[in-house]
Amino acid sequence: MILPIGPIHPSLKEPLRLKLKTRGEKVLTAEIDYGYVHRGIERIMKGKTWQKGIYLSERVCGICSYIHTQTFAETFERIAGERAPLRAQFLRVLTNELDRIQSHLLANSTYFKALEHETLFMYMLYLREPVMDAIELLTGNRVNMGWNVVGGVRMDVNQSHLDSIMKILLKLESEYDRYVEMFEHGPLVGLRSHDVGKLSRDDAIKARAVGPIGRASGLKHDLRENHHTYRDNLDLKVIWRKEGDNFARTMNRFDEITQSINLIKEVIANLPEGDIRKKIDIPAGYGDWRNEAPRGEVSYFIETNGNLIKDVSIRTPSIMNIDACAKYMLNDVATVADAIATYASVDPCIACTERVIIVDESGKSQEFDYPNYPKKNK
Amino acid sequence: MSSVIWYLYEFARKSWVEKFAAARTEHEIMETPSRWRNFPEVRKEYCIACGACTAACPAPMAIKLVRSTDTSEEGGITYPVINTRGCIRCGFCAEVCPTDPKTLLCGENHLIREKFTILPVDKMYVMDEYLCIRCKKCLKSCKVGAVSEVDGKMVIDQSKCIACGDCIKNCPVKGAIKGVFVSNVEEQKEIINLVVNTLENRIDEEQDKIKDLEPEEIFKFDYPIDELVEQAREIIPKDELIRDTIEKITDRLKMRIITWDDEKCKRCRLCVDQCPVGAITYDEEKGIKREPEKCLKCSICYQTCPFGVAGFYVARFLLSETSLDEGVIHVTLKPSQLPMGS
Repeated sequence: MILPIGPIHPSLKEPLRLKLKTRGEKVLTAEIDYGYVHRGIERIMKGKTWQKGIYLSERVCGICSYIHTQTFAETFERIAGERAPLRAQFLRVLTNELDRIQSHLLANSTYFKALEHETLFMYMLYLREPVMDAIELLTGNRVNMGWNVVGGVRMDVNQSHLDSIMKILLKLESEYDRYVEMFEHGPLVGLRSHDVGKLSRDDAIKARAVGPIGRASGLKHDLRENHHTYRDNLDLKVIWRKEGDNFARTMNRFDEITQSINLIKEVIANLPEGDIRKKIDIPAGYGDWRNEAPRGEVSYFIETNGNLIKDVSIRTPSIMNIDACAKYMLNDVATVADAIATYASVDPCIACTERVIIVDESGKSQEFDYPNYPKKNK
Repeated sequence: MSSVIWYLYEFARKSWVEKFAAARTEHEIMETPSRWRNFPEVRKEYCIACGACTAACPAPMAIKLVRSTDTSEEGGITYPVINTRGCIRCGFCAEVCPTDPKTLLCGENHLIREKFTILPVDKMYVMDEYLCIRCKKCLKSCKVGAVSEVDGKMVIDQSKCIACGDCIKNCPVKGAIKGVFVSNVEEQKEIINLVVNTLENRIDEEQDKIKDLEPEEIFKFDYPIDELVEQAREIIPKDELIRDTIEKITDRLKMRIITWDDEKCKRCRLCVDQCPVGAITYDEEKGIKREPEKCLKCSICYQTCPFGVAGFYVARFLLSETSLDEGVIHVTLKPSQLPMGS
């Protein structure tokens, strides 16, 4: 029988329809329907200046909102052929890693919720709250920060802010190991996570899985390696695992949090003096840029006439990961409960998945013209 | 039993009653982080109504410029209003606000220029880009280094300027640097009103001479300003300010004069309907009558009348370059070139 889950369901964070084909308790295949929260952000962004577009790009994703503004700003910097001042680049890394920590903690907490392990779920959220406070201290707001501009960042930090962020991180680090150990060596949680929702390396390449999902399946791919700030100034090693099951994905995220904490410490120790913003004159042109979001690779393709955004296209990581989940992970799962846990372990973010691109049979993408787009009433 | 008594005693304490009477969340719980960005704070009095905030705002319907109504005491002012339902607290409006100090404040913004200290001066010097010939005499003469060259243009840094006036003395072009009195604005308005009213009355006394002017004849007379200056000194005893104000107003003022010659009138009543404010009335016994108090000096009656009853003249003024007490205003009256009787 076909068991529909969603679009509105307690186990889902965001609206999405999950159709599980089951025989008894066993799940044979799964199918996923999107289209419940499509907002047409690209269409709204067209014909606006970057000053307005950057705040709109922040609202593409509800959790990893920061990386969208950074990618947007860096796309424009690439069109102009310039880079932000070094201090601004370091501050961007600092915010990006804080955002990654809170996103991974939230992702793991939802996974534990799906496992019905509510204690760890609450512990994860308890760890996340001080990180949100650190973000608020740094940028002025918790989620939609309004912190990036083309050419730098908007607010400077002083030593007292860095000290209090450091204090929060040290406290996080001291408490964090205990909870990781609870998951890593806990017999019950481990039993439910090991060898569930396997994604082999070949399947991951076929499904174009990115981020922690791809890395847990043995794809040694992290875009931060290629980013100029990380490459030139910071010490970064790609964390990866080869098991490809729920346990590996969750542990990969835990390890990346440790790595992010070390990166932030490095940034705070080496933060250079100087300007945090510079004026960039944008020429007409086309540019693209990609960055490592908490969930994987986010890319922006922007065409501008020097002032207004003529065309914009956004590619977010979750679309690949959710498809990998539906096609390869949810094959022959032992129980429905495991299927839900596997779905949660992919860290799906529906709001940023819902983009529209039309591809014809030859694989060529074409302009989508929004034929039934509601016109303004006059 | 004793526990019940202790329980009741809890409600009898003074602090409990006080808390119960003024129940609200404790202050420590509500304390916001130091860099938290709230909705923008609007300081109406600094707004110059440039519209930069509304143009920059990324959220629809979040910010609007409104104008308060005029009252008898003061004219209405324009200021931005934040709609807290639409505002996304990005703080971009505060960043683009060009006034100094800022009209809009939002969070901690590095572009708010707090480090500059602006000296309290009553005169502000402004460079006119179009008249400036870039001779750089002002740059050399400035003692405090407030004048600088930016992109080939001479710019005065208002935060450094001490309003000594050396640049304006050395400037070879009249009007390239302007000194504006930024304080005593109300007194300046009063002086301007006084000058305009006095000149109007003075020209009214000359009505008879003006009426007989030939079409291309020019009528000139001098008006000594010593009485005017004494009245102005009662308003504000500051000779420099008075001279500056009178000089500016006489440079700019262009007064319209309407004369009325009843002898030429043939009672055709064309002008009665044309007058937009009803200053011209017709009565069967008294004939056509004009009330000068209501007149807008729009010159429509002059353009309508086929017989030349109404005359239309333009007066211009020039202040002599002598001291205030001996100064005179040269008044020049010229008949208008507008077509008449059409």
